[in-house]
Amino acid sequence: MALLEVEHVSVRFGGVQALDDVSLTLNRGEILGLIGPNGAGKTTLFNCLSGVQRPTSGRVRFEGRSVDGLKPNRRARLGLARTFQNLQLFSDLTVLENLMVPVDAFSPRGLVADGLRLPRARIEERRADERARAVLHFLGIGSLATTPAGGLPVGLQRRVELGRALCLRPKLLLLDEPAAGLDAGETAGLAALLSRVRERFSTSMLLVDHDMALVMRACEHIYVLDYGRVIASGAPSVVRDDSRVVQAYLGRGAA
Amino acid sequence: MNAPTSDPALRRAVVLGAVVFAVVAPAVLSNYLRSLAADALISGMIVLSLVVLTGLVGQISFCQYSFAALGAFTVGSLVAGHHWSFWMALIVGTAFAAAGGVLVGIPALRLSGLFLAILTVAVALFFDRFLLAPGTWNAFSGGVEPWRPARPSIAGISLDGSYAFYLFVLAVFLLTSLLVWNLRRGKVGRVLRAIRGSELAAATVGLDLTAWKLAAFGVSAGLAGLAGGLSAVAVGSVSAGSYDFLHSVSVAAVAIVMGVGTVASAAAGGLFLAFGPWLLQHTPLSTQYFNLIVGGLLVLQLVFTPQGLVAHNEQLVLAWRARILARRRAADVSAPPDDLDRPPATDELVTSTEASA
Repeated sequence: MALLEVEHVSVRFGGVQALDDVSLTLNRGEILGLIGPNGAGKTTLFNCLSGVQRPTSGRVRFEGRSVDGLKPNRRARLGLARTFQNLQLFSDLTVLENLMVPVDAFSPRGLVADGLRLPRARIEERRADERARAVLHFLGIGSLATTPAGGLPVGLQRRVELGRALCLRPKLLLLDEPAAGLDAGETAGLAALLSRVRERFSTSMLLVDHDMALVMRACEHIYVLDYGRVIASGAPSVVRDDSRVVQAYLGRGAA
Repeated sequence: MNAPTSDPALRRAVVLGAVVFAVVAPAVLSNYLRSLAADALISGMIVLSLVVLTGLVGQISFCQYSFAALGAFTVGSLVAGHHWSFWMALIVGTAFAAAGGVLVGIPALRLSGLFLAILTVAVALFFDRFLLAPGTWNAFSGGVEPWRPARPSIAGISLDGSYAFYLFVLAVFLLTSLLVWNLRRGKVGRVLRAIRGSELAAATVGLDLTAWKLAAFGVSAGLAGLAGGLSAVAVGSVSAGSYDFLHSVSVAAVAIVMGVGTVASAAAGGLFLAFGPWLLQHTPLSTQYFNLIVGGLLVLQLVFTPQGLVAHNEQLVLAWRARILARRRAADVSAPPDDLDRPPATDELVTSTEASA
């Protein structure tokens, strides 16, 4: 059974058709690529998957269950984590605290345990701290633990966002342009990092980017979006040579 | 420049010193000044309620005294009118205020900034014009108005004496401060600050924004209600004028001047609110100028020390200490250099500005 099934999802913003009858399937353990020029609807599709945007029509199934109408926090609890193209770190919090928040979200302790500082609160505080530090260490940014997240350079902020998503122990990781703002060297490192993440956290990924090099390197299967429609899908080598894809990226004359 | 971070040992010493001073000093004050000191603690708890709401979730409120009124009127009505135990009445009043906070929190869920401010102003004016208007509470008055709830006693010790009552209020103030301090440094503080940072991201890491924001409104209003319940027996009679919109505005302004980011600003804010007008009586100015001064300070503070006075002074003290330590270390040749985390000394800043001039 597929981990994620998107069936005929469409989104209209007034007169703009942001997504037009998009269907895709993501299997467990897969790193699926989603590419397309700016404005193709990639981020809109992400918002539909994470529950931030309600589709005008169509269905989304996660692990065979319909998640239509579930709020983002409920989807996170099912194991759907995401990062953001325009970074959304908790900038007043330290890097470590940023990674502790998702652990907090799953812990049952609330006002009473925290306010009275019951033993349970201390134990769970330590557990959250340990889990967050383990992820920071895995990502090679352990030394940044006490640094305020807002002041970091973009590349590191993207890595902190990845860490924050991983602290949810996601079954599916939605990565929205993780290579944006990275240089060529960092992008190459990112592809290697993503495959290590898949090994270590046994998570599947949906990777959105318009950096072809990254997507070609990291993914086994690629969907191409243009003007809200899926115009091609298949293995990287197939997609790369597809005339519709070349047209979408380079213009009609190039094909 | 990295601001010097907090120093637990120094903080512990300062808090301990302040508590000892707060216990001992009022022993030698006049009855009048002692009751002012108790007022300071009660106002301080209202500032504390804003440390939760504004300091953590970043939501502004101009109706904290309306929540305090719920506590005060409940205690007044139940104790003076219906002969309840003060303690039961205080618990009911606090719960009532917390429920009121959650109720105001519901329409506030989708608002922030200016629009939330206007909503809370509307709530405060609604309280002033309707809920606190003469006659509204007649049905619950038990036939005696204005209510004059008697002070309770603890383990046979009556709180009628001004020093005993002051110590009781001090204990409640310290316990609630500890509660807020614990909330701030634990999961709750982290989660609420995360929501303030990015609601979008907070939701996608699994936080229920609705529940957390309502919890913050509830705790904040509950604290204000508790303070109101205490104020009912502090003054000895409950009158609507003590809980009107202007009180809410000046406590919000003072909270912002002191800085809503720290628990210590609750104590500082309370002292300022209670003793400020008293100090003004001893100058050629009259107490009428108090709100003018608060407004002026607010403008100066927003321009020069946006973190608030308390946090600003803490940093000055820490920077000053770090400089002394660095100087001592410089004298000791064998010590390794650690200039990296030392803030630039002010004389360096002076020379650099002189150089540029």
